[in-house]
Amino acid sequence: MEEKIVFNHVNFDYEISENNEVNNAIFDLNIEIKKGEFVCLIGRNGSGKSTFAKLSNAILIPDSGKITVDGLDTSDIDNKFEIRKKVGLIFQNPDNQIVATAVDEDVAFGPENLGLPREEIVKRVNFALDSVDMTEYKNYEPHKLSGGQKQRVAIAGVIAMKPDYIFFDESTAMLDPIGRQQILELAKKLNEELKIGIIFITHHMRDVALFDRVIVLNEGKIAVDDNPKKIFSNPEKLKMLGLSLPEVSKLVWQLKSEGIDLGTDITNIDEFVDAFYLYLKKIG
Amino acid sequence: MLRDMTIGQYLPGDSVIHNLDSRTKFLSSILFITLLFFCKNFYSLGICFAALLIYILLSKISIKYIYRAFKPVIMIVAITAIINLFFTNTGKVLFSWHFIKITDQGLFTALFYSIRIILIVLASVMLTYTTTPTMITYAIERLFSTKYTYKGVHTFAMMMTIALRFIPILTDEFIKITDAQKSRGASFDTGSLTKRIKALIPVLIPLFFTSFKRATDLAFAMECRCYKGAEGRTRYKITHFSKKDLFVFVGFVFTAILVFVSNKFLSSGSLSL
Repeated sequence: MEEKIVFNHVNFDYEISENNEVNNAIFDLNIEIKKGEFVCLIGRNGSGKSTFAKLSNAILIPDSGKITVDGLDTSDIDNKFEIRKKVGLIFQNPDNQIVATAVDEDVAFGPENLGLPREEIVKRVNFALDSVDMTEYKNYEPHKLSGGQKQRVAIAGVIAMKPDYIFFDESTAMLDPIGRQQILELAKKLNEELKIGIIFITHHMRDVALFDRVIVLNEGKIAVDDNPKKIFSNPEKLKMLGLSLPEVSKLVWQLKSEGIDLGTDITNIDEFVDAFYLYLKKIG
Repeated sequence: MLRDMTIGQYLPGDSVIHNLDSRTKFLSSILFITLLFFCKNFYSLGICFAALLIYILLSKISIKYIYRAFKPVIMIVAITAIINLFFTNTGKVLFSWHFIKITDQGLFTALFYSIRIILIVLASVMLTYTTTPTMITYAIERLFSTKYTYKGVHTFAMMMTIALRFIPILTDEFIKITDAQKSRGASFDTGSLTKRIKALIPVLIPLFFTSFKRATDLAFAMECRCYKGAEGRTRYKITHFSKKDLFVFVGFVFTAILVFVSNKFLSSGSLSL
């Protein structure tokens, strides 16, 4: 069985939607995300991003269509816990997902629920705290940590369950720029070192450049599914989807309209500097 | 001030008492308070006091905190004492003025009850001073879990843990909302009592609203981490009884025997309860 999350003609709508403008529904969605992929899922408010995450770990069950995680059907109630073990979810507000009154006890919460023997729990707690660099805060009370640190504790809590995929559901939205950067780097590290599939949900274009694959969700449908360079090279389409380019790409496009063509596959400042340097050299 | 307040304040330390199994501390506090109700005269009360004093000295908690512990109950002690003093009519009259009559029996009961209340408060405070709330919860869960009760006990312990976890968060939120309302001209410390209580409504409504939002999020997060109640759950933190714990129980049994002996063989003369 190949390890991947598969959405097959998935429809989902919330029963109560008083204002129909933002209803977070999903319409006829088809997608495949393989284990070990490093994906960014982007879309404006109400595009169904969070719904997508909750559907993937059987918190929500599709109205029609089929979702499988490593071949397990999410609508089969017997698979529920097996799927949640495989698919971890990190929410936006770290305060609302930390259960226990000490850091290590919170990380142990998942493994405790799985009914693992004590030695194994201890091992996993140490491993998880080490992989998010929070070992020295082991005995801290969560409310004495900063936002970024709390989010790292929440991530450790998911890692301790040894998941194959982790969804970050706007997990950097409440953090300061440094905390945000750290979480992004941590996601990259987890992907590279532990081969965990990362699905990073955001509504900020500035987060996108780092990823291998970007999925743009719009009104419950996939609008674009490509690599970031390709996506940045089509600003009109992004604008139509309610997303704006990151500053660097904006600059590139503006320069282009002024007649300075640096190429359209620039995604970060370093690449811009290199391209601009080459351009200056060329024109002498 | 509100930020510093913690329910069941814990004073970190590394004394013999701090390192006891939390179950021992929890049980011995309850047993000790029960024993206080069996005391019939000042001798047995004195024995209990001596035992508690040894416990306090072993815990190395400074006298300042012991004093702070019974400051809030001074009023209760005073009221109990006054009621007992003035409304006991039996015994020899020591002092009388118009309708006020103080008897030796009244004096005895007033003093006796005051000391007992203080000892009860000290015994319970010693539990929270030397044991973290988490460990108290743990003690309750371990002590009351049986084949038939484990589900309910686990749910209760989980509720306590979550409540403890959210006290600082909701406190912070309360302060934030109060500040926000103040900055828009709300006043919380002027006017009559009813006015002040009314001023709290615009603080409590958003606080409740966000609490429900938090509760929903937390429930999702717990489900995502495979929470399914007590069923098939294992424990990360486990404590074991050691020799020290045995000493505490032996000490308690010893105190109890002394109390019953003094109840039986030493009397406070004609005075009784």
